[in-house]
Amino acid sequence: MARLLDVRNLETRFYTQDGVVHAVNGVSFHVDEGETLGIVGESGSGKSVTVLSIMRLIPSPPGKITNGEVIFEGRDLLKIDEEEMREVRGNRIAMIFQDPMTSLNPVLTIEQQITEALELHLGMNHQQARRRAIELLKMVGIPAAEQRIDNYPHQFSGGMRQRVMIAMGLACNPRLLIADEPTTALDVTIQAQIVELVKRLRDEIGMAIIWITHDLSLLAGLADRIIVMYAGQVVESAPTADIYRNPRHPYTIGLLQSIPRLDEKRRERLAPIEGLPPDLIDYPQGCPFAPRCRFAVERCFEEDPPLEKVGPEHEAACWVKPVGQEVLAAWRAAVLES
Amino acid sequence: MAQAQLSGIKTGLQADVLPPRRHPLAEFWRRYRRNRLAVVGLVIAILFVITGVGAPWIAPYSYTEQNLDAVELPPSLAHPLGTDDLGRDQFSRLVWAARTALIVAPSATVVGVTLGLVFGLMAGYFGGWVDRLIMRLSDVLFAFPGLLFALLIAATLQPRFEAWLLRFEVTKPWVRSGYAEFLVVITALSAVGWPGLARLVRGQILSLRREPFIEAAEALGIPAHRILFRHLLPNALPPVIVAISMGMGGAILAEASLSFLGIGIQPPTPSWGAMIINNFQYWRRPSAPWMLWAPGLVVAALVFAFNFIGDGLNEALNPRERR
Ligand SMILES: Nc1ncnc2c1ncn2[C@@H]1O[C@H](COP(=O)(O)OP(=O)(O)OP(=O)(O)O)[C@@H](O)[C@H]1O
Ligand SMILES: [Mg+2]
Repeated sequence: MARLLDVRNLETRFYTQDGVVHAVNGVSFHVDEGETLGIVGESGSGKSVTVLSIMRLIPSPPGKITNGEVIFEGRDLLKIDEEEMREVRGNRIAMIFQDPMTSLNPVLTIEQQITEALELHLGMNHQQARRRAIELLKMVGIPAAEQRIDNYPHQFSGGMRQRVMIAMGLACNPRLLIADEPTTALDVTIQAQIVELVKRLRDEIGMAIIWITHDLSLLAGLADRIIVMYAGQVVESAPTADIYRNPRHPYTIGLLQSIPRLDEKRRERLAPIEGLPPDLIDYPQGCPFAPRCRFAVERCFEEDPPLEKVGPEHEAACWVKPVGQEVLAAWRAAVLES
Repeated sequence: MAQAQLSGIKTGLQADVLPPRRHPLAEFWRRYRRNRLAVVGLVIAILFVITGVGAPWIAPYSYTEQNLDAVELPPSLAHPLGTDDLGRDQFSRLVWAARTALIVAPSATVVGVTLGLVFGLMAGYFGGWVDRLIMRLSDVLFAFPGLLFALLIAATLQPRFEAWLLRFEVTKPWVRSGYAEFLVVITALSAVGWPGLARLVRGQILSLRREPFIEAAEALGIPAHRILFRHLLPNALPPVIVAISMGMGGAILAEASLSFLGIGIQPPTPSWGAMIINNFQYWRRPSAPWMLWAPGLVVAALVFAFNFIGDGLNEALNPRERR
């Protein structure tokens, strides 16, 4: 499949009063046409800053992209001028955000918010834009779209607002949809509906998706590939099945062990990863995960491991590279025994 | 399969209870009405406007008509508030002074608000040296007591401005008719009025810029000027509207204070402030306290009224309550 997005060696820093925050540290990954890439990592691992850097929406000051390339449809988004970048945003790459309650403008109607991008990017007149907006609302499953389009955001529930956000994101038929934890703020049943909706729309429209989450289980039926981020780095990257079946980075293994499984009745069998992520201002020497790692050896505290191939499409950044398949099997056996 | 998923999605939606739709204005009035004092304030403000506009029909006498045989009369049917030392009907002057206030206060407020909005938006959105320049300027203006500064401007501006107007045929009559005084007072009051609003708007823009919906608009590729005027400004308006209402009361008081001090609106043009100072001599005369009380009470009532309106607007427009 054709390469749609290629992020190389991306580095983003925040120059704050307390010091330089090393938010993104040499992140590389790619997304092919029509592919769904999942990004997982705990809070503060740099997922949002990574995608905001791609969109060039890092607040500056204090933020700055200090290195890297973002090749999208053949050109480096970090090199084009602001005018061209605006043509990409909302048009070629769309983004939906975590909190649907605050991501819609409270003083504008839904119509005003959806039609704006259509008129701007596709040069539609107001009539055409309104018709298209109603179509979009129907597509994302808003009942009585013809009437609801003139409502204000506060007249919608959280799940409905996220649908509206998705409609806005899809308005101009983007090639890439970036979803930054779009279901985190919603309750579980609504979450599942939104995931189903996005899957259906992806298959209809054929766009690529970057789906950010800290819930690894959510990606199971959704993502083709997954990258795992920790302290602003990619620590593992593999097709979804390999991440679940045979993770090779201790952090990924830890994430899998902390997912509640249906076949486990008691929650205390969960094994949350102990310790805290490193301070991004005083960035540690060596592997950033080493202090929390069960498998760490001396070398881990001295040298930061690079991403290395461990399978055809599988990479991990670890000196030890434990075989996750065996570790997980042993762990499950132990859990079942107790 | 897709069909099944779709219907699954639909069923989930039934649970979404839709709040009833109301016209935004009706909703606004429902919230405003809850504050009784705000409604009283609104009634007073409307009476003020009617009086100002309808002065020629409401006032029984002209505001200049003197009757030296009937000076310093106590209230009677012919003169409900008595007459002043020149035998002018006090009630008529009180009514006509509403017109003076109705010209000066809104004009000064509109000019001040416009300046405040423009400077505040620029400072908040562009930041950097634009922000620093505007904020230092407003610091300087803030350092003076407002009224003193307005006094300074009016006192120094008035003679120069009138001398300048007298140099042109077209503008000469403005001086005699008193327009020049109005312009001077309006200028002085708006010069004092804008810095507070500029700071308010700047603060609003700075905090709103971090709102997710602004980030979302930027992610849609909306250009900066549209984000500023279409997405940011309407959200910044509620406190501005409240400030405008409070500012109206302040402007009425300031205009009265200036004329009380003998600056700005000059006799014979009636002004509440001038009426108060003119009647000050009767302060200790037990027979005629109303000559002092009437204009004083009117000014006080209006200042309170506009503050009550401001409170009511604040409650009705508060976005936290609306969500
Ligand atoms: N505007 C900013 N100024 C300073 N530091 C920032 C800013 N935005 C993000 N950061 C820092 O960058 C780091 C990465 O943040 P980011 O928002 O990308 O995390 P995340 O992986 O998206 O986490 P979450 O799951 O909570 O959304 C954090 O340490 C955060 O404090
Ligand atoms: Mg985030």
